[in-house]
Amino acid sequence: MAKIERAQKLFLKTLKTRFANWGEDVQSGKTVYKRIGLSQSPRKMEWVKQGNAVALARGISGYDPVRCHCGGIPLGQRQLMTYEVSGTGVFVEGDDLHFVNNAAMQQMWDDIRRTVVVGMDLAHQTLQKRLGKEVTPETINEFLHVLNHAMPGAAVVQEHMVETSPALTDDCYVKVYTGDDEMADSIEPQFLIDINKAFPAKQAEQIKGSIGKSMWQAVHIPTIVSRTCDGGTASRWSAMQLGMSYIGAYRMCAGEAATADLAFAAKHAGLIEMANLLPARRARGPNEPGGLKFGLFADIIQADRKYPNDPVRSSLEVVAAGCMLYDQIWLGSYMSGGVGFTQYATAAYTDNVLDDFSYYGADYVKDKYKGFTKAPQKQEVVNDIATETTLYGMEQYETFPSLLEDHFGGSQRATVLAAASGIACALGTANSNAGLSGWYLSMLLHKEGWSRLGFYGYDLQDQCGSANTFAIRSDEGLVNELRGANYPNYAMNVGHQGGYAGIAGAAHFARQDGWSFDPRIKVCFADPGLPFDFTEPRRMFAKGAIREFMPAGERSLIIPARK
Amino acid sequence: MAYKPQFCAGTTKVAENRRNFMNPAYKLQKIRDISDEDVVLIMGHRAPGSAYPTTHPPLSEAGEPKCPVRKLVTPLDGAKTGDRVRYIQFTDSYWFAPMHPYLRSYMASIRYRGVDPGTLSGRQIVECRERDLEKIAKELISTECFDPARSGIRGCTVHGHSLRLDEDGMMFDMLARRILDKDKTVKYVKDQVGVPLDKPVNVGKPMDEKWLKAHTTIYNSNGGTGFREDKEAIEFIQTIHSLRTKYGFMPKE
Repeated sequence: MAKIERAQKLFLKTLKTRFANWGEDVQSGKTVYKRIGLSQSPRKMEWVKQGNAVALARGISGYDPVRCHCGGIPLGQRQLMTYEVSGTGVFVEGDDLHFVNNAAMQQMWDDIRRTVVVGMDLAHQTLQKRLGKEVTPETINEFLHVLNHAMPGAAVVQEHMVETSPALTDDCYVKVYTGDDEMADSIEPQFLIDINKAFPAKQAEQIKGSIGKSMWQAVHIPTIVSRTCDGGTASRWSAMQLGMSYIGAYRMCAGEAATADLAFAAKHAGLIEMANLLPARRARGPNEPGGLKFGLFADIIQADRKYPNDPVRSSLEVVAAGCMLYDQIWLGSYMSGGVGFTQYATAAYTDNVLDDFSYYGADYVKDKYKGFTKAPQKQEVVNDIATETTLYGMEQYETFPSLLEDHFGGSQRATVLAAASGIACALGTANSNAGLSGWYLSMLLHKEGWSRLGFYGYDLQDQCGSANTFAIRSDEGLVNELRGANYPNYAMNVGHQGGYAGIAGAAHFARQDGWSFDPRIKVCFADPGLPFDFTEPRRMFAKGAIREFMPAGERSLIIPARK
Repeated sequence: MAYKPQFCAGTTKVAENRRNFMNPAYKLQKIRDISDEDVVLIMGHRAPGSAYPTTHPPLSEAGEPKCPVRKLVTPLDGAKTGDRVRYIQFTDSYWFAPMHPYLRSYMASIRYRGVDPGTLSGRQIVECRERDLEKIAKELISTECFDPARSGIRGCTVHGHSLRLDEDGMMFDMLARRILDKDKTVKYVKDQVGVPLDKPVNVGKPMDEKWLKAHTTIYNSNGGTGFREDKEAIEFIQTIHSLRTKYGFMPKE
């Protein structure tokens, strides 16, 4: 058995707290099922009152769990318990981790969907070479003033125009960044994402070296716009206001052919979207979750900036955010329409279970292979790390029946065991496909050890995952960072994609890389001005659950006050 | 040399039990008596004694096309008569139930014809023509495949396989389809989807802990055989994973 430094059954304190209310021993295999029903849950009881009020007000029945569930048997025949959002010490109702009930979760996705990155260099070339305009730090700063006026939906060159309320769109703005320190120094601080301040020195140098002298705009259109329209709107809205702002700031003709060059740069040539559009059978535009690559998502999450020396934590934050977005929002609602995906997904970021298993795997790697990134990139090494991590996790579920009860679904356990195994392999080898290989071995071990795995979908992708992890044919294999929610086999199976994203990140966090996939995405979200704090997704989710998170895009200004 | 099925790897009692269940030459040990009528009651698809509803005419009257495959495959009795396809679904407790989902599916595929097994973590379904299903269900309930306390017959609301046991040793069942009666036998008071039965169906006494641990097919380090103990089983899975990986990378010998 490996020497364990940090893995100290991190879930145990949580279990003891949760089960203490019932006066129970977390290692006991038996309990008394009191069948108390809904009254165990303050949130459910609150909703019963709400449901009654709604029914009375509208004259149509609604939430009525005592009558409508299982023909009169309500939820709560077993103990209903709260969850601790991992790493936060905050206990929350499970219901409050459904994205409908959690404003932080909504805002995380809003902040991604409403974002595009647009290069400035092409536009500057057009201005300088075609139109003979002078582009200087002063003109750029003036342009950014105009742009931050226009981007929320304000006029710059027209007369008698409707505009949008600044207060309704106060989350909309544009900042810029560059790898050129001299140029960065000449940009007004209000408009600059300062790479030197945002990142540890080593990461900052890597990022600046990669971005070079080019300059990029992080554009965040109003939350209220992307909610009313869709992700594909982000580039259109952005490009329209960019074009008008160039016209206004640089005194161009509004309509001369050169404006088409600016529009083309903003809409296509200089545009980086967060997600690709999807094929007709899944029919979503760009900037919708199905087209979001795992590596890019690992860059959106910023924990590695804040905790560069704790790559496990950084990976866990990516898994948590990924499970929320890919499972709860994308697969759960966009694709499936179900409500239950939350129950699967939250297992990866509640009660410190994945944390414990992952730190165990990390410690095993450090002990046996003398540190992260030091393990040979060999199949035998992947087999060793993934097997040990999986067996450890399985033994915890067996040793603590309350833990097994906590993760009562096979899909929950499979995700957690495989994610921990994959993260450990990626940390050890600094290779995310080696991490994927560890994930798939974990699935096979789990399935054979307990003669069960997740729901049917786990047969689909986890039984063939070994064969496509390192496949060289382009339609079957791909670097994990470049895979995404729409990768073949990954498109309709809960409990995987957040893990894959965490594994993509883990390989780079172990190396303390500046980024996992694209430095421009990494910098774009290294912005403390965003409503959602991407350095602490789990803490944000907890704040949302306890109703302390303030989202953007609220309509209070334009609706009557509630009675 | 003639092919000899090995069914699964492993040197432990758990592996041996798995091989027995999958091996059609192994005769399943009968543990309890259950009548045909009781099987029908628990499944709840039709009233005992009623005719089998049909979805198509008997094959002998259907005027089937000339087809070599149809000549090769003898229809099940239920297919001949046009029976509906119906199901039985089981939930098996982590705490040493005799059977577990994948094994149930492997076994059903090997031992029975015309079945469609489906495997999840907390339940396993077998679908089949109705009259053939009843024969299969009877064997699955009356033999060592089943324990009245740790196995459950549940069409829906299957929650319980991973939960702690109730204080009387029964696997949790939200719908309370069965009870441990005063005579220490387990009686189904609702069918598999929770519709109350007119009369309880007795499925016998729960097996004791010693029997369960000797017959279970799940690795469980907490009182049973830990997966780690079965090195052969683990090495076999690692080998399968490695070979699949390498062939995926370079599909040649």
